[in-house]
Amino acid sequence: MRILDLATKDLLQIFRDKKSFLFLAAMPIIFTLFMGFAYNSGEDGAEDDARISVAWVDEADNQFSELLFERLDENTALSLVDMEEASAMDALARGDMLGVLIIPSAFGEQAEGTSALGQITLVTDTLSTEGQSLYQLLRVPVSQLASAVEIGTLTADVIGDSAEFSPAFTLALEEWDEHQSRSLVRTEKAVAQEEESWFGDNPYNQASPGIVVQFAIIGLITSAQILVEERKNRTLQRLMSTAMRTWEIVAGHILAMFTLAFLQIALLVLFGQWVLDVNYLHAPLATLLISAALGIWVASMGLLIGVVAKSDDQVILFSMVAMFFFSALGGTWFPLDVSAGGFAAFGRLMPSYAAMNGLQNILIRGLGLASIWQPVAILMIYALGFFMLALWRFRKIGV
Amino acid sequence: MNAIEVKNLKKSFGDLQAVDSVNFAAAQGEILSLLGPNGAGKSTAISMLAGLLVPDGGSATLMGHSVTADPQAAKASLGVVPQDIALYPDLSARENLVFWGKMYGLRGAALNQRVDKVLEIIGLSERQKDRIGKFSGGMKRRVNIGAALLHKPDVVIMDEPTVGIDPQSRRHILDNVKALNKQGMTVLYTTHYMEEAAELSDHIAIMDQGKVIAFGTHAELIKLVGEQTRIDLTLNTESTVIFDAWRNTQGVSRIDAENGTVTLLVDDSNLVLPRLFEAAAQANVRITSVDIQEPNLESVFLHLTGRALRD
Ligand SMILES: Nc1ncnc2c1ncn2[C@@H]1O[C@H](COP(=O)(O)OP(=O)(O)OP(=O)(O)O)[C@@H](O)[C@H]1O
Ligand SMILES: [Mg+2]
Repeated sequence: MRILDLATKDLLQIFRDKKSFLFLAAMPIIFTLFMGFAYNSGEDGAEDDARISVAWVDEADNQFSELLFERLDENTALSLVDMEEASAMDALARGDMLGVLIIPSAFGEQAEGTSALGQITLVTDTLSTEGQSLYQLLRVPVSQLASAVEIGTLTADVIGDSAEFSPAFTLALEEWDEHQSRSLVRTEKAVAQEEESWFGDNPYNQASPGIVVQFAIIGLITSAQILVEERKNRTLQRLMSTAMRTWEIVAGHILAMFTLAFLQIALLVLFGQWVLDVNYLHAPLATLLISAALGIWVASMGLLIGVVAKSDDQVILFSMVAMFFFSALGGTWFPLDVSAGGFAAFGRLMPSYAAMNGLQNILIRGLGLASIWQPVAILMIYALGFFMLALWRFRKIGV
Repeated sequence: MNAIEVKNLKKSFGDLQAVDSVNFAAAQGEILSLLGPNGAGKSTAISMLAGLLVPDGGSATLMGHSVTADPQAAKASLGVVPQDIALYPDLSARENLVFWGKMYGLRGAALNQRVDKVLEIIGLSERQKDRIGKFSGGMKRRVNIGAALLHKPDVVIMDEPTVGIDPQSRRHILDNVKALNKQGMTVLYTTHYMEEAAELSDHIAIMDQGKVIAFGTHAELIKLVGEQTRIDLTLNTESTVIFDAWRNTQGVSRIDAENGTVTLLVDDSNLVLPRLFEAAAQANVRITSVDIQEPNLESVFLHLTGRALRD
């Protein structure tokens, strides 16, 4: 009970300090957004939108060009952007667009009489894969439209009534749709999605857990300071002169540190889940266990910092050093898989990597409870180590 | 049974013997003062009583409980007012007291009543909602004392509770100590103000350099210097001739010179002072100021150590 009272007092002190809010909530949320943005734009430009961008320069602007637009736009592998010719060519030169599609003003004009749709122009790098796929993607819808026009014209000719063009044309298009186009679309889509990023389908799958681990450590600035102040202003000595036993004092402080770390982790996890679409809750129990284990490890480290540091400045220094060390090695900034062998092998032994790995097993690899026992065990072993070290130092605190 | 009993207590820090075979005792309901200059070992002795330092040797009991063998029982009967203000500056006076009350095992309504009562004792009921950080030195000292009274301990140890505060707060604190003592609390009071020790104490232990150099009631201690009077003189010049002359003057038992002040212990100042002036005139030395002090603890300390209590 007195342990709870002591922990409650610590938390009261922390929440009364305005900079706690900054370290515990505001900064991590801002950094999550920022890092997610950075990872995303770090990838190849085409990757954020897997579709092939095509400038649509429509000089005809009639029923037929509109039909073609609709049919092309239906294709999920294509992204059509309505543009003027000049700016379209600029965009192509810059690489913003992979092709320019020019629909001539005469497009479809003579369609009803002459059985020809008129030629459209595709400007693209025909040697590139994108250029090739673009050509393939355009070929079928364009020829379907052309053949439907042909059928309409022929029918009107045979019957000798130009009013018959429309029904025959429409019927022909519908026939195409029923038989072919869907399967073609599906094939092309698969090609466009061939490459998956290391963070899965959402850059926040890296940014969110990375910041969770990183800021759980930074949060110690607030909670370890409580213990250092208690030593400095001699309230710790006063506590020891009450009937509180030493282990109760240690337990109270570590409980406060754990509670704070866990609340912060929970806040960031829920922010990730609800705002950034990071799917922590697809394995809620696994997420809870990893969060708790991370909180316990961080709290034990906080106790050590609180016992060793001589001033508030040292608390900040030690917390920052711990944060940089464990964040860099644990793969919270970039995945260890992309770094050099020795570094990665060492990093994989770190508790921060265990936390990261456990969370990403849930987020990126879609695994569940079975996948996190090992990371949880590693975190607990480190927690025990830091705790023993802190206890050993705690006994040496002079009066 | 004595409320406090200390026997042959020892503690050293490296080569420094901070507490050197110290003995003292206080019966229940007594005020015992530890009087001594800076570095005498008062706080070190108290830390051992409070269970914060492990003694190198000797024994100490509080209400019959050994502080080393049964620290929990000893601590339960003890309230400690540390020399430093050991409070949380970002919490209010009341929040501090409630917290310390809980640490002493108080709960619920009993806790709240006790906090109200203590706030009244220390005269801060009106300011209870204010943060300690905004308090004056004297007010902080009063809360510092209040936090040690919450669980109605049998023994209260106060380590220089009046250091560095205004006369008004000091008066308030001294009156509090006397009132608490009247209600039956045994008080161990450390100070380097001899006036406080004289006013409060049933017994006084004078400490210097780790040792208790005298122990007794105020009257008993004064007797140590006989009925001698202390005379402080300042001279217009440094002269060893006059010192020799005075040393041999009838009625002078001791002479010391420090920082331009000459201090003498004499039997009867009415008889001795004219002789001192006469000798000065012969040696061609002018006496520029005279201060006469009837025997007090200060002169006892001087008598025992050859040094002044305050530096
Ligand atoms: N933790 C410590 N480590 C080393 N030396 C210490 C320690 N605590 C006290 N001392 C030394 O022991 C001696 C006695 O100190 P102590 O604090 O007990 O004196 P005090 O009588 O309380 O003095 P003051 O009136 O200044 O509070 C001093 O010389 C002090 O420097
Ligand atoms: Mg002291």
